[in-house]
Amino acid sequence: MKNIIEFSGVTKDYRHGRGIFDISLSVSEGEMFGFVGTNGAGKTTTIRHIMGFLKQDSGTVTVKGMDAWNQASSIKKFIGYVPGEIAFPDLASGTEFLKSQAELSGLKDMSRANRLIERLQLDPSANLRRMSKGMKQKTALVAALMADPEIIILDEPTTGLDPLMRVAFMDIVREEHMRGKTVFMSSHMFEELQTTCDKVALIDNGKINEIVDMNIITQRPDVQFKIEFNKKSDYRAFLNSGYTIIRDQPQYSQVTITLPKKETQKLFFSLSDYDVKFISEIPYTLEKYFKEKLINERIKEQKYVQ
Amino acid sequence: MKPVLVESLTKDYGYGRGVFDISFSINQGEVFGFLGPNGAGKSTTIRHLMGFSKPDKGRTFLLGKESFSSYNEIMDKVGYLPGEIALPAGLTGWEFLDMMKKLRRIECDERLKQLVKRFDLDPSGDTKRMGLGVKRKLAVVAAFMHDPDILILDEPTSGLDMVMQEIFVDFIKEEKNRGKTILLSSHIFSEVDATCDRIAIIKDGKIVSDFIADNLRHKTEKNYLITFRDSDSLNSFIANYQSQPYFKITDNKSLPLTIAVDIDDAHVNTLIKALNGSGVTEFHHVRESLEDYFMKYYKEDKVFGGV
Repeated sequence: MKNIIEFSGVTKDYRHGRGIFDISLSVSEGEMFGFVGTNGAGKTTTIRHIMGFLKQDSGTVTVKGMDAWNQASSIKKFIGYVPGEIAFPDLASGTEFLKSQAELSGLKDMSRANRLIERLQLDPSANLRRMSKGMKQKTALVAALMADPEIIILDEPTTGLDPLMRVAFMDIVREEHMRGKTVFMSSHMFEELQTTCDKVALIDNGKINEIVDMNIITQRPDVQFKIEFNKKSDYRAFLNSGYTIIRDQPQYSQVTITLPKKETQKLFFSLSDYDVKFISEIPYTLEKYFKEKLINERIKEQKYVQ
Repeated sequence: MKPVLVESLTKDYGYGRGVFDISFSINQGEVFGFLGPNGAGKSTTIRHLMGFSKPDKGRTFLLGKESFSSYNEIMDKVGYLPGEIALPAGLTGWEFLDMMKKLRRIECDERLKQLVKRFDLDPSGDTKRMGLGVKRKLAVVAAFMHDPDILILDEPTSGLDMVMQEIFVDFIKEEKNRGKTILLSSHIFSEVDATCDRIAIIKDGKIVSDFIADNLRHKTEKNYLITFRDSDSLNSFIANYQSQPYFKITDNKSLPLTIAVDIDDAHVNTLIKALNGSGVTEFHHVRESLEDYFMKYYKEDKVFGGV
């Protein structure tokens, strides 16, 4: 598969530990790539390099094989971009803004823009300056997608949106991905990356901590179940029947086990002998995966030490 | 006495905006989550509780005192963190905190110091140059430095990253454990799920659902996705169990060799015995998340409402 976006050893040093350092990643055609990290971790700096707004100190950034800095104007033709902090030009309305953007990119046909406006239930005639965060975000999305670009770059598009806006916004992004578009999206919401992305990179202190193929999360060979028993005796018997117990709560006669999926049949054979109160699954999430790696230690640092 | 009580609150702003006949209460030591999209009436309700706005109908009470008429009497027992923080210009964080201290006539600043330390806040800089996260921390210290009994938080982590969200979740849990009564309005399902005892969903100015969070977390009705090793196993399972009163089998079209089963925990042993020797290869529990539950109340609108 063709690599559409490629970073190789990219560093941009803002001093005092700020910036991005030795970033390497690649996004292949039609892939949806998620980028997660805390504020200040380097997400926006990385995205600005794709857009050719910033020139790296070292390393290379290419989009469709072209140098992101030197050929920025050619590259922009392929990209729809929604920045994290939207600053609209001083124009009267959303409609004017969309028209001026269309003019700039030589777009004549506004039918796609109109379809998106309808989907998002956006009133583009509203005053740009009076628009709420959600309306601004929707207007920016229409502007980014109206020319039907091959590559879609979104910098924390859902931050600060309410749940309904979030869903409406992400539905459209997901559809574009289904239509074969390459999407690069930063976020600090794991849930939304987990359900949409093919790959997710975690950036921390300007460095890529890890790039996870989402199949690793969704196609894990193991599964975790929480099982509670009605009788203490059943609970005790199960405890000694050879399953890997990862959490034991005797006060509830409850255990949490981890089980290779291929032993699912065996589990039901074992459980048939007991009086089970309930069985539920502990889902494995991207958040869990990264949290174990990163967040806990970070909070420890910030937490008031007694 | 309920520390927070809202009785048939109505405030009609016209054009269908406002809140209409809202009633709820919060027990002492309880964290109450308030979920709804922008414009549904969360902040309007909170502003009435804070006595900033006079109801058209109904009343709101904090610690038994009517909010609008007696706010001054309860002010030092209530802490309010607004959704949009406007800090006065030209002050450092310390100067702002000092100002708030005087306004609140606080003599002992032990809690203030604790909070500054707790949130790892450096209030020495100019408020204008502070990032969103730092501003929010400063606002929290200012809002809660008098160690109030009731904490009202209006979208405290909107726009903040996951580490800050985590810090807020920890803070809310700590305050709950100290016996505080907390109203949390939020768009972030994970933070509501992590902290709240009870959750209300507000839609178009009306409360459409008010439920115990654990009832959603530990629902006795469950939905499982069950995959079989081949179509023979699948078909014989369906044939044997499609007509019995204990669980309902439905086809799952998106996954091969997979069925969905709806069942109440009371009958789980029947299902376990049915699956024993059935050729099951995968068994998954599909949980209804708070977000799924919330969206149910809003989806209808999408389908029937139109523009």
